[in-house]
Amino acid sequence: MIFRVFNKEELSALFDVLAENIIVGPVEKALDKDGIPLYSFELVRDYEELRLQYPSTKISAKKYFLPHNETLSSFSVDKEGWTKHVDYNIYKPLVFFGMHACDINALNKLDKVLLESVYPTPYYGSKRKNMFIVGVNCTPQSHCFCRDMGADTVQHGFDMFLTDLGDRYFVEVLSAEAFNYLDRINSREAVEVDHLDYMKRVKERIGKFTSKVDTTDLTKILDMEFDAEVWREWGEKCLSCGTCANVCPTCYCYGVDEQVDLDLKGAHKIKHLHSCNLLDFAEVAGGHNFRPESYIRLKYRYYHKHRGFVEAFEESLCVGCGRCGEACLADITVPEVIASVRGEG
Amino acid sequence: MSGELSYLGVSLSRPRVAFFELTSCEGCQLQIFNKEATLIDFLSLVEPVNFREVMDEKSNDYQIAFVEGAVTRQDEVVKLQKIRENAEILVALGSCACFGGVAQLKNRFNDMEWVKKEVYGDYPIDTQQARPLSAEVKVDLEIYGCPIKKEEVERIVVDLLVGKAITHPKYPVCMECKANENICLFDLGEPCLGPVTRGGCDSWCPNSRMGCWGCRGPAEAANMDQMIKIMARHGISRETMLDRLECFGGFAGYVEEMRTDETNEDIQGNSE
Amino acid sequence: MNGLKFYDVLTEKRAPRVRDFERFEYSFEAEISNVYSLTETEKLYQIRISDPEKRQRFTFRPGQFVMLELPGIGEAPFSISSSPSRHGDIELCIRATGNLTNFLAKVKRGTMVGISGPFGTSFPLEKMEGGNVMLIAGGLGLAPLRSPALSVLENRNRYEQVDIIYGAKKPSELLFTYLYEMWRKFDINLKIIVDTPDETWDGPVGLITEPLKERIAAYGDALKTDTYAIVCGPPIMFKFVCAALTEAGLPMQKMFISLERRMHCGRGKCCRCNIGSTYTCLEGPVFDYWSVMNLKEAI
Repeated sequence: MIFRVFNKEELSALFDVLAENIIVGPVEKALDKDGIPLYSFELVRDYEELRLQYPSTKISAKKYFLPHNETLSSFSVDKEGWTKHVDYNIYKPLVFFGMHACDINALNKLDKVLLESVYPTPYYGSKRKNMFIVGVNCTPQSHCFCRDMGADTVQHGFDMFLTDLGDRYFVEVLSAEAFNYLDRINSREAVEVDHLDYMKRVKERIGKFTSKVDTTDLTKILDMEFDAEVWREWGEKCLSCGTCANVCPTCYCYGVDEQVDLDLKGAHKIKHLHSCNLLDFAEVAGGHNFRPESYIRLKYRYYHKHRGFVEAFEESLCVGCGRCGEACLADITVPEVIASVRGEG
Repeated sequence: MSGELSYLGVSLSRPRVAFFELTSCEGCQLQIFNKEATLIDFLSLVEPVNFREVMDEKSNDYQIAFVEGAVTRQDEVVKLQKIRENAEILVALGSCACFGGVAQLKNRFNDMEWVKKEVYGDYPIDTQQARPLSAEVKVDLEIYGCPIKKEEVERIVVDLLVGKAITHPKYPVCMECKANENICLFDLGEPCLGPVTRGGCDSWCPNSRMGCWGCRGPAEAANMDQMIKIMARHGISRETMLDRLECFGGFAGYVEEMRTDETNEDIQGNSE
Repeated sequence: MNGLKFYDVLTEKRAPRVRDFERFEYSFEAEISNVYSLTETEKLYQIRISDPEKRQRFTFRPGQFVMLELPGIGEAPFSISSSPSRHGDIELCIRATGNLTNFLAKVKRGTMVGISGPFGTSFPLEKMEGGNVMLIAGGLGLAPLRSPALSVLENRNRYEQVDIIYGAKKPSELLFTYLYEMWRKFDINLKIIVDTPDETWDGPVGLITEPLKERIAAYGDALKTDTYAIVCGPPIMFKFVCAALTEAGLPMQKMFISLERRMHCGRGKCCRCNIGSTYTCLEGPVFDYWSVMNLKEAI
């Protein structure tokens, strides 16, 4: 791996050379009622808008690679028959400036199911393959449990990753494109003192994690505790509103709606991200609902993330970003649910 | 505007439609004619035979009747019953027709005579408790919203034509609000009924940073107990919440339960 | 303009799975070549892949399903009811119950539809060769069972005893009645039972477990060694049937079930057919009973 270093003042230069592309990054979206800024991933036109020190965004960056609503295909229909037109809805590469390790890990997990399994999906694939990612290190927040999910650091799936060393950035370089961009600004090769500072910085960061999730034997425990009473208690709280799935960087479940155009000369096939917590998630034609109760739906969210995905890919579908717990109005958080299922709540 | 309609070789009949209003602002009907870009296409799918806002002709020969507004007078009851007799499909258009809407706010007052006097003075007028169409006649289809969303009416008409079942989202407004990536109103310290209100509006109000007032009535798995707790946790008074729940009438059952709980608490409080 | 190169997943040489990407939204142009009414609500649609070459190249195994699409109306999974020897001239037995199926009931012969697939797992008929085969269906369950039944019939000499046990609520709901005579001629032990008889019915009345018990008794110890079962029907039905067969000694791994779930993609992506961790569309719809026992919520 190639490591480089540049002084902090060079950050705007890096932004400028990358700005020949479209840049997406963390910006301040609003102030909450206590005056604390809330962040989101938006198109950034001006370096001054970029907030690289952001603690976390309320919603993951997924609208750029798994849009909440996406037209999969359109049809022209006439008396003779019909023709299908497919569009993957991406026309230019996007630079993601300032993604945290958890969110890059989320993409790597999505790659496994959406790209590296049978029937890879081109809608995700074409967007994912046109992402240029500049990762950035973060400060653990009270709701973060990425370390317990093995997602606090990231090994691949990005182009370069910046670690703030105070007066300079330490950069891991994974792609030739990233190397070339760094070549266009004032950067140098990393030397021993940079390595030592980097390691010191990593150690400090680890000490800041507070939230704990014990994942030992979790796949088995979830099976053993399938009928546990705690599921009903969480189910009573659940609003069945889908917020957790919508803010999650890895939730990819969806539904498809087909709609005839108003002029009857065409039709559209539209994908909507769904949520396993929504009432009709498992309803089949004819009306039978395999999961009519909210606690069963909530339970399946945990089964998919922490059991099913582990069985299939040897890792959980949760990166521990904690967004779901932060966004849940009913205060349902992953660490608390898992602790309660383990009988520790 | 005439001519055979067909889709994928299946011929579709162009329904004769009529629009009527009872006690309402006629805003829902206005919505339908507000969107000029698709108006021609919309009108080629249906044949309006009765639409006071835009045409003079009147006919009682129609298949689909869209009725806007709440029932608040005896002559409206008679009118509605006639519509029911004539129509194959009676559609309640908008929150007033579905739940009583804003008009049913007057039902909060115990003394109807006092209300009448306050509003109309001594002018002689028949006014009753405001109620949804379904209190008087069988309603085949409800289109929610204050006002309705034109896109939804267009979709419903196309679906009716091609024989699809008309379904509404079962999930609450939060689902669409999060998809629109809005900042949660509770983060901004505002009350919002989004977590318990039926979606389908594309989170119209929260998109403009206005909390939801529940115009579409309850979502199908509305967790009202949790909603009460959320409001309390965010320091929003029960009365503020009740004001919102009562605004359009969709939550009447829940409101009644909450009011009863309050009365019980008062009684218990007094006896202590 | 400078900047990063746009990566076109369909043309980029570096893309490892260009053909797979194309396959995701790919569907065969096909037409409805014939429609037969089977009952008041079920019809048999003959669907022919339009391109003769693609039609001939289309192969599937009994138990697999296709996704059928009508633009703007919907797309849904249907198990194939025809024999694999017919290739891309497939038959689907469809009950009018949702948007797509209700519209299908109105379309004319010659209407163009989109067919993608085949998807999913199948009944391992080759493994069953040399053994006895019990095909057990309840209600609409005969639709997915018709394909393995026809396949067994075409290769009748490769199997020992073959049973078809079929139960329906009413005589008017019995599917494929015109096939029964032929099945009997091919030395198939056919038992049909209805729950609620009418004046046209002079056959047995009751639940499917009754003729099943008879057959279990007739098989005796052969159940433990040389017999396979294929079971299709509503959950309540296969639950009882599988329990009875297990008790009689039929090994769980020799019993095969086809499960029904909501599906939006058929390609292991939408998660709607997920049973815990298992995608019904990829790892199913055909499961052996042992796997089903291990799936929470499956029955």
